[in-house]
Amino acid sequence: MRRANVVVGGTLIAAIVLLVLIGLVWTPFNPTAISGPRLAPPGWPHVLGTDGQGSDIASRIISGAKLALLVGVISVSAAALIGVPVGILAGMSQRWVSAILARGADILYGFPALLLAILFAAAVGGSTWTAVMAIGIATIPVFVRIARAATLQVMSQTFIEAARLSATPPLQVAWRHVLPNIAPVLGVQASVSFGLAILAEAGLSYLGLGSGSDVPTWGRMLREAQNELFNAPLVALWPGLAIAMATMGFNLLGDGLRDLLDPKLREIA
Amino acid sequence: MESRRPRRLVAAWLCLMAAAALALTACSSPETPAAGQPVVLSIGATLEPEGLDPAVVNGAGTPFVLLYNVYETLVRIDGEGAVRPLLARDYSTSDDGTVYTFNLDSSAKFSSGAPVTADAVVESLERARSAENVTSQIKSKMEPVASITAADDDTVEVTLTRPSNQWLYNLAGPAGIIYDPEGMDTLADQPAGSGPFQFEEWQTGQYVKLVQNDDYWGTDTRVDEVFFRYYADPNAMNTAMLSGQLDIISNLTVPQSIDQFSDTDKFTVTEGTTDGEVVLGFNHDNEALAKLPVRQAINHAIDRQALVDAVWGGKGKLIGSMVPPTDPWFEDLSDTYPFDQAKAKALLQEAGYESGLSLRLRVPNTVPYAPTAARFVAAQLAEVGITVQVDELDFASWLKEVYSAGDYDMSIIAHVEPRDISNFANPEYYWHYDNPDFAALIQDADEGPADEQVSLMKDAAQMLADDAAADWLFLLPNLVITTKEVSGLQKNATSLAFDLTTVATNR
Repeated sequence: MRRANVVVGGTLIAAIVLLVLIGLVWTPFNPTAISGPRLAPPGWPHVLGTDGQGSDIASRIISGAKLALLVGVISVSAAALIGVPVGILAGMSQRWVSAILARGADILYGFPALLLAILFAAAVGGSTWTAVMAIGIATIPVFVRIARAATLQVMSQTFIEAARLSATPPLQVAWRHVLPNIAPVLGVQASVSFGLAILAEAGLSYLGLGSGSDVPTWGRMLREAQNELFNAPLVALWPGLAIAMATMGFNLLGDGLRDLLDPKLREIA
Repeated sequence: MESRRPRRLVAAWLCLMAAAALALTACSSPETPAAGQPVVLSIGATLEPEGLDPAVVNGAGTPFVLLYNVYETLVRIDGEGAVRPLLARDYSTSDDGTVYTFNLDSSAKFSSGAPVTADAVVESLERARSAENVTSQIKSKMEPVASITAADDDTVEVTLTRPSNQWLYNLAGPAGIIYDPEGMDTLADQPAGSGPFQFEEWQTGQYVKLVQNDDYWGTDTRVDEVFFRYYADPNAMNTAMLSGQLDIISNLTVPQSIDQFSDTDKFTVTEGTTDGEVVLGFNHDNEALAKLPVRQAINHAIDRQALVDAVWGGKGKLIGSMVPPTDPWFEDLSDTYPFDQAKAKALLQEAGYESGLSLRLRVPNTVPYAPTAARFVAAQLAEVGITVQVDELDFASWLKEVYSAGDYDMSIIAHVEPRDISNFANPEYYWHYDNPDFAALIQDADEGPADEQVSLMKDAAQMLADDAAADWLFLLPNLVITTKEVSGLQKNATSLAFDLTTVATNR
């Protein structure tokens, strides 16, 4: 059962990554050009049909996958790069520093990505980077919390006590002893956050707070398909499927990895 | 796991509360009345008012609800686009066209019961002309006015500084509303007019409720209560209509879905015209767009019929200039620049942009047609070598950065005001279109003899088209859906009002 999660999740993600790699060099049609009649049903040469403007849906899905992964990679890595050190610091510090950092993370956690994105969009205008920033910032507290909780657990271990007694500098303790021990939890969280980031990016583009309408994204495709729902329901199906598969893929992988690595970790995450 | 349980309970409780709230609203929504019960109409709309005082707030949402329904004017615009008497029984013009004399209908009275006197008219028009908080748009309509005086209780004389054929027409819009002097201080909360309806309630984000004015001086309306219900999502409005919660969709903004209402036993679909020209506007301060061949190339490069098909379900008329079909000087100029990519490329080469041109297309993302039209325009311009970067802004940012600050190359928005072609005569307007010949033509048409107005305005529209001052993508259709029982709505939207004075329902 645990294996199944990893296998299914891993396969879904591998398929999407493959799609992105192919998309880097080749798409069946230019994803932004008008390449056929409007709302053509799936067939040949438009495998998944065309959308309301006559663009090839398959090409747009492939092109959208690139953006979804890119937003996921950048926002989650940025969030981890900021959140993990803060979390470890919180876990290793005295009680009051730890409490301040933890409460700070809690406050940030109270702002959903959507709210932040609206804030940024109002301040600097909607763009791909608005989405990346909003998702990234909203994901930081997740990493702070999980890194802090895991660090606290590691800090009570005897080998940390030993390192301390031998006057190892705190930075070295964090790097040598804490980080490797909490890495699995972080990996699991990164996978789950990745799925959420893709979902959030789709949500933001759906609302028009992400990339401009000339950039194909899954969320934008869904929004545009909504108006054609009555005439051509299939047009909405494809981006919806893509979003569902990507999100599910990363969630299953995260869940599976967590169970595989250590059943006890469930209590932390 | 233990700690999660209470949270779930809370969530379940919240769901119940939400369900209860839903049930309450469901109960309070108007249902089909039995005999003797009030006749209630629910109208779906997408543009909510931003305030209740039409002279103070910008935006078309306010006059949409209040003009002609709650507020009346001396003269009004009828369904054919012509000026007709309303509060004024009749009016006359001096031979030189500078003095207008309005004879008020002596039976006219406000909903408070007070008569519509010449003093009330003077006070209202003075307010539109000079009050500090009145919008610049309203003030500009009263710009030709030199003085407004009450000759006697039922006669008002307005003297203009110059003859103006356009002025009387403008007086039929929000600028010419006659307010009840007694309610003048509280207009922001409580509209005080003389119309067949009275304002009752506004639930922000949900609805505006009007009720019949029991003491109306003219012909009573045939409905007792009207709800304008607002929907952020036009698809949700369609669903509400299909499930019987609405009697009227005031304007369908997802024309692609019009076939949902094809059951003629249940619905009536009316397709008319509006004053809303969807303009691909050029910033004439841009070095490339200042060149005529570039503007012509863009006009040649866009297949407007295909655009209407993709963006607006094929509904909407190609116009080719800034004149809607309900204006007397309308001519179909949509063939001025037929779709011709080779010609577009040649024109770009002539202008020196054979190696390419990059333009920023900044559009508001809150209007349903702009983002999809922008994508279409970007795709088609790419084919002739113009790289378009689409940038979407919320409406407030669009107003600030594009409309006020002019920070853009191209933009797409519908200009919904009646007879707004004169905006092209104003070099300060956000297009920065500076054509003295055109401005002179507009001025001559306004100040010259009334019988020359039509031919001069035709020339002006032609001049704009020839100069490719913008690309008029299409004219928004007036797509009104009603249940089979509703009748008496205007086919064409000729003013900013959603006129309910003749609406009826026979259920």
